[in-house]
Amino acid sequence: MTSLAPVVVVIEDEPQIRRFVCAALEDEGCVVFEASSAKQGLLEAANRKPDLIVLDLGLPDLDGLQVVIQLRTWSSLPILILSARASEQDKIAALDAGADDYLTKPFGVGELLARVRALLRRRVQMSDLPTLVTIGELQVDFINRTVTKAGEPLHLTPIEFRLLCVLYASAGRVITQRQLLKEVWGPGHAESNHYLRIFVGHLRRKIEIDSAQPKHILTETGVGYRFQV
Amino acid sequence: MLCLNGCYNQTIILLKILHNFYTVSHKIPPMLKIHSLGSTKSLFIAVGGCVVMTYISTLLLPHVALANIVMLFLLTVFLIAVFLGSHAGILAAFLSVGLFDYFCVSPRFSMAVDDVQYLITFSVMLVVALITGQLAARLQHQVLLSQQRLNRTQALYELASALSGVLKLNQVSSLVDQFLKDTLQLESVVLLPEQDALVPLSAHHVWFESHMAWAAYQSDSSKILSEPDGIYYFPLKGSTRSRGVLVLALAQGKSALKDDVLELLLTVASLLAITIERLHYVEVAGHTETQMATERLRSSILSSLSHDLRTPLTIMVGMADSLISAKPALSNYQLEVLGSLHQQSFKLSGMVTNLLEMARLQTGEIRLRKEWQPLEEVIGASIQMLVQALHQHTVRVHLPDDLPMLAFDAVLIERVFYNLIENAIKYSPAGSTIVIAAEVGGDSVLVSVSDSGLGIPADQINAIFDMFVRAHSADQAIAGTGIGLAVCRSIVEAHQGRIFAENTPDGGACIKFTLPVGTPPVLSEALLEGESI
Repeated sequence: MTSLAPVVVVIEDEPQIRRFVCAALEDEGCVVFEASSAKQGLLEAANRKPDLIVLDLGLPDLDGLQVVIQLRTWSSLPILILSARASEQDKIAALDAGADDYLTKPFGVGELLARVRALLRRRVQMSDLPTLVTIGELQVDFINRTVTKAGEPLHLTPIEFRLLCVLYASAGRVITQRQLLKEVWGPGHAESNHYLRIFVGHLRRKIEIDSAQPKHILTETGVGYRFQV
Repeated sequence: MLCLNGCYNQTIILLKILHNFYTVSHKIPPMLKIHSLGSTKSLFIAVGGCVVMTYISTLLLPHVALANIVMLFLLTVFLIAVFLGSHAGILAAFLSVGLFDYFCVSPRFSMAVDDVQYLITFSVMLVVALITGQLAARLQHQVLLSQQRLNRTQALYELASALSGVLKLNQVSSLVDQFLKDTLQLESVVLLPEQDALVPLSAHHVWFESHMAWAAYQSDSSKILSEPDGIYYFPLKGSTRSRGVLVLALAQGKSALKDDVLELLLTVASLLAITIERLHYVEVAGHTETQMATERLRSSILSSLSHDLRTPLTIMVGMADSLISAKPALSNYQLEVLGSLHQQSFKLSGMVTNLLEMARLQTGEIRLRKEWQPLEEVIGASIQMLVQALHQHTVRVHLPDDLPMLAFDAVLIERVFYNLIENAIKYSPAGSTIVIAAEVGGDSVLVSVSDSGLGIPADQINAIFDMFVRAHSADQAIAGTGIGLAVCRSIVEAHQGRIFAENTPDGGACIKFTLPVGTPPVLSEALLEGESI
């Protein structure tokens, strides 16, 4: 059983935060390795073959963003960012550099574990993409490109469908506006944020019950979107 | 006739010498020239010169042909004209003809002549003397003028290079004042705009009319305005706008400025304008740099403050959560205490966020990250953030379908909604509904967040947006710092909006704020239909 347990490396300089994060992850059944500095963290990440990295952005020896960039040069493993900084720009930079999700301090253990589970699940699912999925009242057929809501067929434009596909494929993590624009419209439109917002608005009106209080396409204000299955 | 021929030849030679002299005179340092002898004095010298020449001629007469004596007189006239100007030249021409006749032509010591041919000699001599004298004098004048021009150009060049190195405005003014006084004997003052008036840059002795200066400052062209009493107004036109006015005053009794001087002054004015403009941009650049440094410092202080305040909160929440899930399970009472510890820590975190936001908004210019976006999205996000606190309330959002996109800073407007909804939860009974609505009215969108709680006492309806003011402050059961609405006001006002409170007809509180509609970007059809893929 232990051989199948997910391996997590926690890189956090504050010992007490590290302690409860590690304890919570161990309770969840993970094998946890701790690191208190970026240097040590990168070493652990290379040696322990982890399934997930939990990384504090404010490390004393190296900026968290640099750690993400270095990790991404050789690995695609999921990275969860912990950030106490006020600025959204730091989070966007880390996400655009390849981090998968972030948590703003302070956060509850429940929240932390939910994010960790979602990221670990993603890692398993990545290998086999489903052709037919059910998301709440929605049924999406990726082969025939049809969507039904509570049995009723929904008419989505090609862009809306593509947007839904990209959002679904990134379920369980945060996707920045820039990443979404690049995936849906191509690299030339990475700055056309207002188009993205219009299409997200249209899609929400079609698939959500109340588009002002969405349950699937959640907004991470100033950062991007999170798709919730 | 031979004599006439000789005269002609000599005239040619003279003209050649004259030409050489012209060339040489350009190289004579100005100090060697007799520049400004008084006119009477120069006439006396001319007479003296002619007398001396006559004396020499009488000595030479027995040994030299008369034609050569004529040449000597012509040379005298020429030299006098060159050095003493045209008046002295004319006098010398007539005088030398008379003296030549009287002393050299027989019968000597009489104005009469034996040979009528001499009349031709006299007239030719007179004509040649007058012409060469005039030419020489004009030449001299030209030399003087070009020397003057050279001096001015030199001075202008020195002024330009001095101005290009100047770093302060008052240095500019003293350089220009000095230049105008030295080269043109003009009093001057530079006027610079300050609010709605023109203010002298330095102490001065120029009596000018403010309305004339203002007219010069306001005029679109670089036309010079002047007054009959010798006051000139030169507008200083920079590349982007008028930078000020240069006022000049002629010294008492001097005649109006000539065209060449005006041209020089226009050059000075444009040099001055360029320098003032350059100094303006130097100042702007310096200011921007300081501002950026301040901004960096401020954001790094707030960032580390945020880090330092949130870290212990994170530890508290984490520890409480660890205990809640500790095995063996704790008693219900202990779990309740830990749950409330968890909850209160988050509340404290919200207050910390508001305080930091307030500090950020109040300690300098707010830099908004404005983007065009629908209001719906940011309302949804703020409700999502409060989903736990909202478990006993319902939120209804009424937005018209044709609500335009607005340009705002999403993070800040989210904070406004967060604070307003949080307030509504705090002050309205469990089970009630909070309504968020928006409508377009003219050039702004009016957004309202209303609850069905106690409402706001009439005497506090304006004060609640001030710092540390809370409605129902006697009611200590409701926690709060009185900072949330102050943050809302700062954010809304930074967006050129207005925030105010009302009570709904059924007694609840309703906070309304406006956001300007602006001009949303035009959307490209190709992108909307996805044809670009």
